[in-house]
Amino acid sequence: MTLLLDAVLCVLLLGTALAAVLGRGVFRAIVFFIVYGLLLSVGWVRLEAVNVALAEAAIGAGLTGILLLTTYGKLTRVSAEAEPDDAGVNLPVALVSVAVAGALAWAWSVLPEPTRPRAELAEALPRAGVENPVTAVLLSFRAWDTLLESVVLLAALIGLWLLGRDEDWQQRLGVPQHARPGGIMTSFGRVLPPVGFLVGVYLVFIGADEPGGAFQGGTVLAAVGLVAALAGLIQPPRIGQWQWHAGLVLGPLVFLLAGVAGALSDSGFLGYPEAIAGTAILVIEAALAASIAVTLAFLVIGPPEKGHRE
Amino acid sequence: MTLWLTGVAVGVLCTLGFALLRVWHGPGRADRMMAAQLSGTAGVAALVLLAPMQDWAALDVALLLALFGALAAVGFVKATSSDGGGDPEEVDIGADTPDPTDRNADD
Repeated sequence: MTLLLDAVLCVLLLGTALAAVLGRGVFRAIVFFIVYGLLLSVGWVRLEAVNVALAEAAIGAGLTGILLLTTYGKLTRVSAEAEPDDAGVNLPVALVSVAVAGALAWAWSVLPEPTRPRAELAEALPRAGVENPVTAVLLSFRAWDTLLESVVLLAALIGLWLLGRDEDWQQRLGVPQHARPGGIMTSFGRVLPPVGFLVGVYLVFIGADEPGGAFQGGTVLAAVGLVAALAGLIQPPRIGQWQWHAGLVLGPLVFLLAGVAGALSDSGFLGYPEAIAGTAILVIEAALAASIAVTLAFLVIGPPEKGHRE
Repeated sequence: MTLWLTGVAVGVLCTLGFALLRVWHGPGRADRMMAAQLSGTAGVAALVLLAPMQDWAALDVALLLALFGALAAVGFVKATSSDGGGDPEEVDIGADTPDPTDRNADD
């Protein structure tokens, strides 16, 4: 029966992927992409990769979906046709896509057979201070990679802000949001954030020992802020506000300081003394989650735009 | 019990397939989006059914899918409003502006 389950899941995954790529119409492709992310997270659960499933549900189906929907809305407003009307196939684009897909397939086929690092991991894990092996790899064994990744998000946000117009630079971020006071949207914006906040903090906290972590929790916290902002209940900030700059760099900064502290003691750069490793990882995760939440929320809201009421 | 739960999960995933037909045919944008919401509900149901087999960790994924499904609905309503930041409830009934989430508004 589990074989049948996996077979149905694979058929649905392939079907949504093909529908997103081959179907006509941008909006339909976006909706299929969202459903694809949802099915993919079920697939990761079936592969017992719950950490990845959480990230896929939050980023793939969640934030990327809303980002694409917002982009679609903007395209339809800027020009009358968000939908290309030519029926033919764009040959150069098709060729490049096929080439990229072929290269990826080749790279996948020459990858070495993955081996589960059971013995090494079982030996090293007790010294990491956390029980979730994924968190141990991300924040202890390969902390250097994670530190650089946390800076990449910041670079993406700076790139996005550079797209803002000069004359709008002093404005609040994103298009002005408004909703009928007491309406469905407003009540939604009041009910959802407390629940989401609890889930986000829970995911960060539980990440030490169970699937979860800074990235998944931070994405949920970003979504919480987004819902409140979209419902018009909170005003997005301006670029120049230093409190938000502090929020953006808090995670990488705490991470870096912890690394330097390790280098000054005898644990080495980004190494933590065994006695406090668990606490150190939790503190870094909390700071990273806060920065990831602010960065992702700003990335979805977009660059500053005019028209905000004061 | 495992067999029974897996069997029901297969059934739920099959109903999800029918929701995908509505995403494909539309015709309106709201039809497609509501079908995606329906498939989200089915995905949550499938994960809850599979959870007892894998130490209940799948419940957290189901929780996230439910939360982000709600966010996607808000994002859709906002994106299809006339200025990108509106709310269909603000539009007066009988006004000239067509409701952007009208089910007949085909994409």
